[in-house]
Amino acid sequence: MIKFDRFTLSNGLTVIVHEDNSSPLVAMNILYKVGARDEDESKTGFAHLFEHLMFGGSINIPSYDEPLQMAGGENNAFTNNDITNYYLTIPSQNLETAFWLESDRMLSLAFTEKSLEVQRNVVVEEFKQRYLNQPYGDVWLALRPLAYKVHPYKWATIGKEIAHIEDATLEDVKSFFKKWYAPNNAILTLAGNCSLDTAKELCKKWFEPIPVSNTPIRNLPVEPKQTKLQTIEINKAVPNSNIYMVWHCCSRLDPEFYATDLLSDVLSRGKSSRFYQRLVKELKLFTDISAYMLGDLNKSLFMIEGKIINGISMEVAEKAILNELENSKIYISEEELQKVKNKVESSLVFSEMSLDSKALNLAYYELIGDANLVNEQIAKYQSINTEEIMAIAKEIFQPENCSILYYNSIK
Amino acid sequence: MLNRTESPKLIPTTDIKIPEAKVLYINDQIPVIVVNEGTQEVMKVELVFAAGNISEKIPMLASVASELLDEGTRKRSSADIAEALDNYGAYFQTECGNDFATVSLYTLSRFLPETLPVLLEIITEPAYPENEISTFCVQGKQRLAVSSEKVDFLARKHFINSLYGDQHPYGHFPKEENFDVFTPEILSAFHKKNYLNGLVTIVIAGKFNETQLKLAIEQIKSIGFKKGIVDNLNISATPEVVKLHVPKESAVQSAIRIGRKLFNRKHPDYFNFTILNTVLGGYFGSRLMSNIREDKGYTYGIGSGIIPQFFDGYFFISTEVGSDVCESAVKEIHYELNRLVNDPIPQEELNLVKSYLTGSFQRSIDGPFSLADRYKTLVLNGLELEHYYSYLNTLRNVTSEDLLQTGRHYLNIIHMSEVIIGR
Repeated sequence: MIKFDRFTLSNGLTVIVHEDNSSPLVAMNILYKVGARDEDESKTGFAHLFEHLMFGGSINIPSYDEPLQMAGGENNAFTNNDITNYYLTIPSQNLETAFWLESDRMLSLAFTEKSLEVQRNVVVEEFKQRYLNQPYGDVWLALRPLAYKVHPYKWATIGKEIAHIEDATLEDVKSFFKKWYAPNNAILTLAGNCSLDTAKELCKKWFEPIPVSNTPIRNLPVEPKQTKLQTIEINKAVPNSNIYMVWHCCSRLDPEFYATDLLSDVLSRGKSSRFYQRLVKELKLFTDISAYMLGDLNKSLFMIEGKIINGISMEVAEKAILNELENSKIYISEEELQKVKNKVESSLVFSEMSLDSKALNLAYYELIGDANLVNEQIAKYQSINTEEIMAIAKEIFQPENCSILYYNSIK
Repeated sequence: MLNRTESPKLIPTTDIKIPEAKVLYINDQIPVIVVNEGTQEVMKVELVFAAGNISEKIPMLASVASELLDEGTRKRSSADIAEALDNYGAYFQTECGNDFATVSLYTLSRFLPETLPVLLEIITEPAYPENEISTFCVQGKQRLAVSSEKVDFLARKHFINSLYGDQHPYGHFPKEENFDVFTPEILSAFHKKNYLNGLVTIVIAGKFNETQLKLAIEQIKSIGFKKGIVDNLNISATPEVVKLHVPKESAVQSAIRIGRKLFNRKHPDYFNFTILNTVLGGYFGSRLMSNIREDKGYTYGIGSGIIPQFFDGYFFISTEVGSDVCESAVKEIHYELNRLVNDPIPQEELNLVKSYLTGSFQRSIDGPFSLADRYKTLVLNGLELEHYYSYLNTLRNVTSEDLLQTGRHYLNIIHMSEVIIGR
């Protein structure tokens, strides 16, 4: 149970405070409601490039990192298709420094050519390091445009292609900031050694003067229903062949989320799961195989990725997976369900061990409706029965709902 | 009017108080570290054995023995073991390092009575079944083939090899043929010597009640483990200073590793070097990051570190950079090393690093698992709590002049090996 208080500033910034005096530290998390899905198709990779620029100095403070480190703090950030999230931890006596830094970059950035040029290069190197220079690193670059035809989830957070990042101009960057970086489009959470009164006082002082902005109303195209099986192949000199199968499924906001998540757990969570026992251990077809849902805020994907043992054909591997999926439509035992529920409970409890993850969780649940959902997750999973899970399996595991990437190893 | 240009007044952290852990002793003076705090009712029970790579006579023996612990016991198949734990949402973690191997159980505290016996069963009675060995080896070879396509993996391998040579267990890197030699007998013999007779310490951390703690201690006690010590090395390392460029035509980035053999936590220069390393490449604002990423944009990330081990340690710089700028990146790395050999660190920069490291230390003792790890490090290396206070003291008092001496001693490029994998 995470206790918290919530208030909203006059400029629309939502603030959530979880006081925990057992630690000398405070975690601050600022979630901006903007991600890769909000990009223009001809300028992808922008939300993420922007995350980098947020460290290149703000309107009144030339460096973000230096003063934070001087205060004993540490920070990082991540971007995905839906959100951009910044977080830091700092000794509580210097908490005001965090307010000073974060409020200034919410107010405005320095926007220097130098910072843009360097971060373009850094992100291009990140693109190479994570997507091009790793075996199988380009999987999502190929799968997304196969599965999505119109929705912006068809490009990866890093961007559709390197050129989009290379071509970003200062004007593009400024207008992106103006559009999305505003108090009324953010959620600030504090967890740790900080009282509600302190939080209110500091928020009023540093964040309340930031003006409201006209954040656009999101109007994303709806992905039309897929009507037939889609496949593509990549042939590359990789050590072994892999198979990637995705199905359209519900979003994080839909009530079916919990049953769908449990379905992926029945299939592949832990060494006693169906996939591991049957496909890895018994039939010895894969070195590893996993199933998971992406849990995006719009209609999302259910992914299965299997690393095939050399000598096993793609057809045999695919058939074995499909066979397990058929089984999940007709039989899930009560014991199996109880087992995955216990696993979910345990991982939720473990995920709340650190201040920064508590701060992030509170912000994320507030984004999807109410911070208090953080305390209701276990009950929501507990309420699901086997029938509901099998119904989800029947609904999503249909050939016309599926896209497959065959990643063939050629010598 | 709010002044946004000036930082709020900073208050330095003074007097860090490291929360006390309880240390008990069982069976012939085997220490049990107990840290009971935090907000979540979960537990970690970790057993540390003198069963790391250093104890192996055959390459990879230690890691295979560790990875196959939960793949079947005399009483249960690997599937039954997995089921027994998954039913309670608990999980194991086995880790095999250069000096020690650890087996940890993570469980909701209320399920300890059900999950702890499974942990102890896999530790004490692994069967190392023939079929599980062969499955593991097929998978292991294939995973190795994937790793061998990655430039950073190859750079690490060649670099470590230059420090220790082929014969030394710290220098063992898996080769495909290594997988073919394992039998149940070889693994069981290693297990008996290094696990049953090799327990070094036990860590119990999290939030739990007296009954749960007593249960854990009594059950572990009843096994009758013998105390282990890390074997004295009878193989000497054969360090060589190499300049190596291994071509990999398909790579769009090159991996760079530069470094040298060094010392461990017990060396009088360890603290100074740790601070110096932070200046060079140990945090986001470090000189390597500021120059090579934030000024030149050659890389997504670059860092340096010191790896302290039981018998010695080593220092390394690592990065992956665009193939076209590899040469320039190496030049800048040399430039940054030379600066620390020739010029004192400006006072302001040193103060920043000191503040950063003080905050870092605070974070490293926050929460029961992190705090328990700090105590584990002490126990495993035969150090006292004083070690950390002495570090914090060094952090307060060290001067730029002291660090210049440290730099002169240890950061000279002529002592560094240099490995580049890429075009």
